[in-house]
Parts: sequence; C-alpha cells; structure tokens
Amino acid sequence: MSTSSASEAREIGNRIVIAGIASIVAILALTAVMLFINLPDANAFNARVERLFVENDNLTGNAEIKLLEILAGSGTAFSDTLASYRFVIFVLLVFATALLIAAVAFLVLLIAMNRRMGRIERQGIEVNSLTISRDQKAVYLNDFEFKLTDAAIETLSVLAEARMDDEVLTGAEIEAVISGRSAADCDEAAGATRIKRLRDTLGNQMMSELLVKNIARKGYVLAIDKSVIRMN
Amino acid sequence: MKQLFFSSLLLLASATVAQAACYADYKAKQDAPLRLHYGVVEVRGDCSVASAERQLRDALADNGWQLLNVLGVFDDTGLDERKDSAGEYFLRF
Repeated sequence: MSTSSASEAREIGNRIVIAGIASIVAILALTAVMLFINLPDANAFNARVERLFVENDNLTGNAEIKLLEILAGSGTAFSDTLASYRFVIFVLLVFATALLIAAVAFLVLLIAMNRRMGRIERQGIEVNSLTISRDQKAVYLNDFEFKLTDAAIETLSVLAEARMDDEVLTGAEIEAVISGRSAADCDEAAGATRIKRLRDTLGNQMMSELLVKNIARKGYVLAIDKSVIRMN
Repeated sequence: MKQLFFSSLLLLASATVAQAACYADYKAKQDAPLRLHYGVVEVRGDCSVASAERQLRDALADNGWQLLNVLGVFDDTGLDERKDSAGEYFLRF
C-alpha cells in the first residue's frame, strides 16, 4: 500500500467522523424541534372547553359554567407542567448530544491509539523526542537519559543534523564532518567505527540498531522523525 | 285607501309588538384565564339571530367579552325559564 492511499484512507475516515457527528446533531436537533412542535400549547385545553360549551346548548346553568371554567383552569395548570417537562427533556437532549459526540470522538481516538500501539509494537521503539545536550554530554530519548562520550555526541549530532536535512551520510562523510577534512580523504572504515562506538555507548545493541539505521550502499541515518530532534 | 291605511297600521303595530318582545340568549367568553357566560339580551330592531349577533358583538366587546354564538330568539314566554341560568347576565347588555 502506498503512502498516498493511506492518507486517502485517513481523509475518508475523517469525513466519516464529521458526517457521523453531523448526523447525530441533526437527528437530535430534529427531535428537539418535533418536541416543541408536538406538545400541546397552553391554549389547547381552553379551546376544548370552549368547544364543549358552544356545542352543548344545555350547559347553560351557573354551576355548569363554573365547572367548565375550573376544568379549563386545571387544563392550563397541566399545560404549564408540560412546558416544564418539555424544558427538562430539551436539557436531556442537549446532554445526549454532547455525550454522543464525545463517544464518537473517543471511539475515533481509541482507533487511532490502537493503530499507533500496533505500529509501536511492530517497530519496537517509538522516539517521541530526541534531545542532544552537548554541555551535559547526554542524549535524551523520550524520558531516558543516556550519558555519551564526546566522540559519540559528535557522531550523534552529525547524524541528527543530517536527518533534519533528510540526508543519508556514508561512513566517510561522517568522518569528514567530524574531522574537518574532505570526504575523499577520509576512510569509510573510520566512520563505521564511529557508528559502532556510538551504538556501543548507547548500550543495548538491538535498541541502537533501531535508532541508527544502516541503509545498504548509502550510509547511516537516524530512524526517527526529524520533527522530534532538538539540540541544546 | 282606508283599507290600505289600516292594514299598514296593523303591520306596524304587529311589528312593534314583535320588536318589544324579542329576546335572544347567547354564549360568550373571555380569554386568559378562560371565563364563560350565558346571557339573555333584548334585541332591538329586527327580531332575528343575525341582528342579535350584530348588536351583541359590539356591546360585549366593549365590556371585554367575546361572543361565541347566539342560541336563538324568543319572546316574553321564554324569558322566565332562562332567568335562572343567565343569572347576573340576564338582560345586562
């Protein structure tokens, strides 16, 4: 799979997430609108009582009329209650919207995290930050501090600078940068020795293999993203 | 000529009698809060539901009431049986 198709897939994923969140908001907004439209308004009960009064010619006695008025009054009180219910339901709808959006966002985050975890598991090490501290003669990989010799620091700095320029250095070129001579005058083996020393100083052979990569017939490069490199 | 005069007089008299004895009963309401009333009113002029409606609509509106409908028109004989029901709105407007 090429890089472009991977980023395409990510774009499609993003679009699906946005569409999902938009549809959640749309559905709940529609529900809210229906809620406000469909609940009877305060006058519905009064209109019923009024119709009852008009349609029945024998409902003309004083007592009957008083009863009808009481009926309308209690209906109005009930519709006030309904209005407060409606508000409560609306607040709950807003909460539901927020929760659903959060759920979708967390789901997406979880998937992204899982993918990243998978990548880390395959790669063995994920360097989030590489800080070279010349004055303390140390290199900080993520949160780990490694004490290095002067020579190893030099080698690492050269590799880091080359990485930031997207360059791959041969052993001779590394030796040339450090010693200040031209690459033609330098021995490939001298650079390779420097790389070997750097790896040895970093200790764990396997871990430093992951950090300082050797590309056949091209040279050496730091196997990390260049944006994480910092020098001080 | 004389006959014509008498007959017209008779017509006039009967009309006056009918006018004097014409009443209508109606239903009216007030909004917010809903209040209802049943009333009896004396109809001036033409003794019909339509003229009673015309006359009542304005009279009730001036007092803050809205006419719902006029049930019918009747003469003196129907007055007593409606007096109780109409209560304070008996011949008020």
